[in-house]
Amino acid sequence: MDKSNEAKILIIDDEEVVLDSCSQILKGSSYLLSTAPDGTTGLAKIKEVQPDLVFVDLKMPGISGFEVLEKIQEIDPTIVTVVITGYATVGSAVDAMKKGAYDFLPKPFTPDEFRLITRRSIERRRLVLETIALRREKEMLREQFASIVSHELKAPLGAVQQNVFVLEHELSHLMNEDQKIKLERIKIRIDELLKLINSWLRVISVDIDKLKGGFSPIQITTPIISALESMETYATRKNILLETNYMEPLPPVNGDALSLSEVFVNIIGNAIKYSADGTKVIIKVEEKQGQLLISIRDSGIGIAEEDIPHIFEGFYRAKSGQSTSGQGIGLAVSRRIIDAHGGSISVASELGKGTTFVVRLPSSTI
Amino acid sequence: MAKKLLIIDDDPDFVSGIKSILDGAGFEVEVCYNPKDGLQALQTKTFDLLLLDIMMGRGAEGIMIARKLRKDAKLREMPVLIITGMREQIAFLFPGEPIHPRFVEVDELVEKPVEPNLLIEKVNNLISLAEAKKTGKKIKSP
Repeated sequence: MDKSNEAKILIIDDEEVVLDSCSQILKGSSYLLSTAPDGTTGLAKIKEVQPDLVFVDLKMPGISGFEVLEKIQEIDPTIVTVVITGYATVGSAVDAMKKGAYDFLPKPFTPDEFRLITRRSIERRRLVLETIALRREKEMLREQFASIVSHELKAPLGAVQQNVFVLEHELSHLMNEDQKIKLERIKIRIDELLKLINSWLRVISVDIDKLKGGFSPIQITTPIISALESMETYATRKNILLETNYMEPLPPVNGDALSLSEVFVNIIGNAIKYSADGTKVIIKVEEKQGQLLISIRDSGIGIAEEDIPHIFEGFYRAKSGQSTSGQGIGLAVSRRIIDAHGGSISVASELGKGTTFVVRLPSSTI
Repeated sequence: MAKKLLIIDDDPDFVSGIKSILDGAGFEVEVCYNPKDGLQALQTKTFDLLLLDIMMGRGAEGIMIARKLRKDAKLREMPVLIITGMREQIAFLFPGEPIHPRFVEVDELVEKPVEPNLLIEKVNNLISLAEAKKTGKKIKSP
């Protein structure tokens, strides 16, 4: 509804007295009123005047009020519709509302009733349009943010890192140990930034709900093994043993292997990150009552009790004196992925003792 | 004889980084900073390998080049190393998962920034793979 214009109302009713009295009631108000004596004329007028609000009499000769309602939905679902009914047909008014009508006006009605319902319906139309505009704006912001993050932040940082690589490559025989360590630090910090940007992009640009369309029966060990492979170097560097225990045979899971392995990369990566050198991370998979239980246990620094409720929230990191870097998005994404699979993630932890994450997934045999 | 490489990428700083690595490894490297010049170079000269940025400018103009390569019988045989800063938009972001875009017969995808040794290794692998395919074909055909 254009702000410079008055709200446009159309009344479709075969009783001339209704049309006349409505016109009379709204006279002098800021509404622009048009009328139609039957459905066909009404629909033509809707296309012509593009009203904000349409009153439709349910009982009319020619095409029925219900049909008119349906057609209005097709023409423009944001148009607010109110049905006019006799007392005897309140039941059908409810049916009409189920089909998308916003409200109903029982005949006979007083001028006040009519004014009130008109005001409420016009307000409704304003809210509907505002919601659509806000949604569109939010979507645009999301898209633009993703492209700003990727182009304006990631590309320059990638170019910086590329040139650091070159310096290291070409100067390695000229640099002393101290200089090499400094360059290595630069590389690590840039790499962390790049990873952080990637996680942001991931959160912003991927619609996890769309995953469900691509589910197929998979062996849960497939994404676990591929996660373990990509974490191997990291674990070796920190001298941490990744121990697996698969209680086979395991039933298949209906899911998406790529996103599930992302979950395990996140959880196993965290386990390694917060573990002390020379310790173990144990990954165990078993079937219990039609569910697959995947537990990842470390004997690392643990999570404080007050932090546990927040760790899946995204952009949150525990404050309990950790010196390691991280982005705190991984677990939030992981939970959304597991949710999409109809499963759950839980965590049990004790400060200084270690943490166990348990992922539960329904097996696809049920 | 030194192998001839073409880089098509619109980020001069990034290009200077990989060019330096490839120069150092003994390749003869030519650079085009936009898709238009890149296509022209591809049509007028012969290269042993193309390094292509898939997300140039505002859209994926690199993909347009890759599509043109696929349609060209001669260029189709040239190996392509696709370099992208936006792997997550081309495939699902995932560490350790090899992605083969399969735009042309011999291609592979690496993400920016790329480690010098990995870059040299990929370039060499793709060139020898493409050569093996070519000679293999020649032996088979009468």
